[in-house]
Amino acid sequence: MKRLIALLMAAVFALGLTACGGEKETAEQVTVRYGLSNAWDSLMPYNSPSGSNYTRIICDKIYDRLAYVHADGTLDPRGAKSWESTDDGMAVLFHLDEKAAFHDGTPVTAQHWADTIALITNPDCPALGRGTFSVLAGTDSNGCAVAGEQLGAEAVDEYTLKLTFKSPTAPEDFLLDKNRELYVLPTHLLADTDPADIMELELWSAPVGSGPCKFVEEIPGSQLVLDINKDYQLGCPDFDQLVITVIDKSNLLSSLISGDLDYYAFGGNLSMDDAETAKAGGIEVLEGEVPNTFYELMLNCETIPSAEVRRAIDLALDKEALCLQSTHGLGEPTATDVTPGTEYTCALTWQRDVEEAKTLLEQGGYDGRTYTLACTSNRSGLAALMQQELAEVGMNVTIETVDSAALFSGMADGKYDMAIASHTPGALPLWFTESRLSESNNIFHIADLEPYTYYIDQIKSSSGWETRQVMLDKLQELLADQRPFIPLWFGRTLHAQSPTVDNIDYPSSSFSNENIWAWRMKEA
Amino acid sequence: MGRSPWARFRADRRAMVCLYLLCAELLAVLLLPPLLGLEPNVSDLEAGFWALPSAEHPLGTDDVGRDLLARLLSGGQVSLFIGLSSAAISTALGVPLGLLAGYRRGAWEFWIMRLADIFQTFPSIVLVLCLVTVVGPAALNIVLVLGLLGWTGIARLVYGNTLAVREREYVLAARALGARTGTILRRNILPNVISPVWCSIPLRAGRAILSESSLSFLGFGIRAPQASWGSMIQYASNLTVLTGRPWVWLPPGLCIILTVLCLAGIGDGLRDALDPRFDGGRP
Amino acid sequence: MGRYFRRRLLTAIPVFFGITILVFCMLNLAQGSILDLMGEGSGATDADRSALAASLGLDQPLPQRYLSWLGGLLRGDLGNSYANGKPVAGLIAQRVGPSLLLTGTGVALAVAIALPLGVLAAAQPRSGWDRTASALSLISFGVPGFFLCLAGIFLFSVTLGWLPANGMYAAGRFSGLADLLRHLILPAGVVCLSSVGELVKQTRAACLETLGEDYIRTARAKGLTERAVMVRHAFRGSLIPVLTTILSHIPHILGGSVVVEQVFGWPGMGSLLFSGISGRDYTVVMGVTVVIALTVLLTNLLLDLVYGLVDPRVRYGKG
Repeated sequence: MKRLIALLMAAVFALGLTACGGEKETAEQVTVRYGLSNAWDSLMPYNSPSGSNYTRIICDKIYDRLAYVHADGTLDPRGAKSWESTDDGMAVLFHLDEKAAFHDGTPVTAQHWADTIALITNPDCPALGRGTFSVLAGTDSNGCAVAGEQLGAEAVDEYTLKLTFKSPTAPEDFLLDKNRELYVLPTHLLADTDPADIMELELWSAPVGSGPCKFVEEIPGSQLVLDINKDYQLGCPDFDQLVITVIDKSNLLSSLISGDLDYYAFGGNLSMDDAETAKAGGIEVLEGEVPNTFYELMLNCETIPSAEVRRAIDLALDKEALCLQSTHGLGEPTATDVTPGTEYTCALTWQRDVEEAKTLLEQGGYDGRTYTLACTSNRSGLAALMQQELAEVGMNVTIETVDSAALFSGMADGKYDMAIASHTPGALPLWFTESRLSESNNIFHIADLEPYTYYIDQIKSSSGWETRQVMLDKLQELLADQRPFIPLWFGRTLHAQSPTVDNIDYPSSSFSNENIWAWRMKEA
Repeated sequence: MGRSPWARFRADRRAMVCLYLLCAELLAVLLLPPLLGLEPNVSDLEAGFWALPSAEHPLGTDDVGRDLLARLLSGGQVSLFIGLSSAAISTALGVPLGLLAGYRRGAWEFWIMRLADIFQTFPSIVLVLCLVTVVGPAALNIVLVLGLLGWTGIARLVYGNTLAVREREYVLAARALGARTGTILRRNILPNVISPVWCSIPLRAGRAILSESSLSFLGFGIRAPQASWGSMIQYASNLTVLTGRPWVWLPPGLCIILTVLCLAGIGDGLRDALDPRFDGGRP
Repeated sequence: MGRYFRRRLLTAIPVFFGITILVFCMLNLAQGSILDLMGEGSGATDADRSALAASLGLDQPLPQRYLSWLGGLLRGDLGNSYANGKPVAGLIAQRVGPSLLLTGTGVALAVAIALPLGVLAAAQPRSGWDRTASALSLISFGVPGFFLCLAGIFLFSVTLGWLPANGMYAAGRFSGLADLLRHLILPAGVVCLSSVGELVKQTRAACLETLGEDYIRTARAKGLTERAVMVRHAFRGSLIPVLTTILSHIPHILGGSVVVEQVFGWPGMGSLLFSGISGRDYTVVMGVTVVIALTVLLTNLLLDLVYGLVDPRVRYGKG
């Protein structure tokens, strides 16, 4: 019997070992270990059902984008060396970097970019997230190419890409808004495939891109091994390999301190509360300077139809306390979605006024019904605080903790009455409002979008800063009066510095891009 | 030994201590909050978030400024409710099903036991996790899911014993006298098969409390702003709280251990008291 | 003999179908579907959603979807992951090895501790051994798994720096047994600790039961030393019930490893299942649960057949 057990154990052990498949010993390579708290889904950037930042930050490594977006909204060249506006602002010329090449050695040309866009906007191609391209001429509002019309993406010459828009668009505005969704695919490998079968290709399980890292192997949902692309046009770091592992968020900081991770996404973000722990563990902590989160309370204007009631909710919330609870002092309460520190401003201020809120509730005909407030599980404390504040003015709220996908879809379906959400703020005046106050994504269930879209169109079509600012002020006044959502605060974050890698642009990670080509190992 | 099971149980000092402790715990979580006027869901913004233990807040405050002692007590209500009622549901389902399967045999036996087979091939946490995502996380749903999924173990126990008892003379005699099946099951069989069930109920309750804690960790716990010991111990998943604020997670952790310990002790005591073959594990 | 085997095999068939129906219904009745995931920021439109639904076959009626899923299952095809389009069978195959290694090591350690400790605790009630056994069971029962993980990481990785805090290999792939073992110790230790309690308890109980049997009394009467009685008779007599306990606990141990794998970033079935649940990738969740359940079903079946072969009493005793 004893022998049997021993044999059984040995067998299980051996089986496990062999199945873990270590066949090849690799030469001495310098590896950087990268932690991520959630898994990416697809390695084909236009086939990601979640479209989450986790997938974006992975595709950022394998594929190339036109530009590199800094946290403060400034742009650096990447796939494109420079860009200029043309055709009275209706089009942009991108001058591509001639040194860029795919991992199989093929140079990246303007034709690759144009073909990529043509492929993804092809209605036969089962691409996801093609809505990005709906700003281009020759597409419908879903981003599908319209038959018979000229698609607004063409190769002028080998290294010049021309994008034509439906309305005048500055190149910087376009890149700030769309850069993280725009990748170049190795279309020379796709030429023989029917667009309808593109997603079935074996290519996507070992993708070839032109980004700073090359695909090596993957355990989907758990680990991704990438080699550094030593020929990347912007240079390469002084290590050889990047290993990306999915670990629970409770273990990220511990692993960084114990030296089992070199960096974790996004930007080694750290709450103020954990700063001392990180410092005690020998991790340097840097404070982010630009706001990288915008918190809002989404409202469902169909189930909360009265603007008075919505304004009452705004007045009932103690944004100072909420902001303190969430950011531990690294945030500024706000009355608007206009990002502070950008060229656009908004003069509106917020205040808490319990009495006024009660009056408004009465005026708005609040009937004492109970509203459902949705939040993700890590924000249940915040929701509980809101619940108390709303109870103070006499409004009943129950809290529903769900995952973020269910939160947004529940808001879209009208299942929830309010929800706490956060976003990465942008420098453009319409970064928040344009996509949400539109027919295709009316997440606040606004009955009549007309007044909003009027101002939005005005802002988009005017070129000067002054006219834009004037229109923006009017839009903000309208929002303050109608309150389809409640801006809460802009927060900053702390970045846990990698003990081993230098030169990481931590803040820009929240824009789903990382300057990995510039990373350098610290002297031991 | 001619003593009644209850007398034997009372003579078991360890089991009695466990019983008293559990009763004390129950009384504390039920009576202390109204007596001390504790509010588990109200933030004290003056004390602030993560306040240190003080006279006003003996265990400090949590991340929203709520009194941790109040939450510990009201969390105890939830945890004990989840543990005890899910065990009760499992028993209420498992005992009749096990009796039917064992006594009626035939098709009853086949289908009930196959159903038990089906449920027992799954890791319980996996089934619970899937079901809770379906019905939505809330204390009552968790109780129902844990209770409904827990019947198999009890049904198996009862089934096995019923098989052994059904051919005994007194059962045969009752049947020959024309007693109805329900009566036979209730009067003749149940009393002879129930003792192992009594022992397994406390263990089941303990496990349910822990399952709720795992669910909380995986993000499918009870509904905010309610507290439970399982959800309170989650604060320890943050490194800062784990290393710097033991007063936050230690009390709910100790409460869970104490409760599980007491429930296990009571279970052992019941087993020894009801089954004369075991003499407290002292041969 | 033949009749027993046939009957035992026949009973497995409805269980098999029951398992598949249960898994399928449960997950398809789930409120949210993968389409919900195409939320904010994905730039997805309603047209995208209905296209995806059609390509995944979500627009067909439920029974039809069940039959096609079942047909695939019987051919070893578990469908493709909603999230990344890869075959689920392949995803699972990638994870089986690490899972087996982790749970296998954890359970082997637990058995190695539980058997001797359980026997000693039964032989010397209320001794130091008995108390150790109780204390171990208490930790094992009373401390949630995630807490053991985090406390272990804090103690051995962050404070002492002895063991790595995550992953399976330091450099992303196999680079020597020593490296793998170092990464294995902490997670396997947690798996061991969380299953050892039940095993100690069962071993102790089984030993106590055997100690009451007639042949032990005979052995004692023969004048054998207490040691010989314990090792040769009591221990052997309790092995079968203990082994049965171990095997019947495999589903729970696998379930417990969900948390362990999630915290340590261990690329096993548990973390696959969890990412499936949180990403609503129901083909993956269905695939993993069905594979686990069928493995358990098969193990039980084999075990019963072996018992039936070895021990004639079993063939008549079971319903």
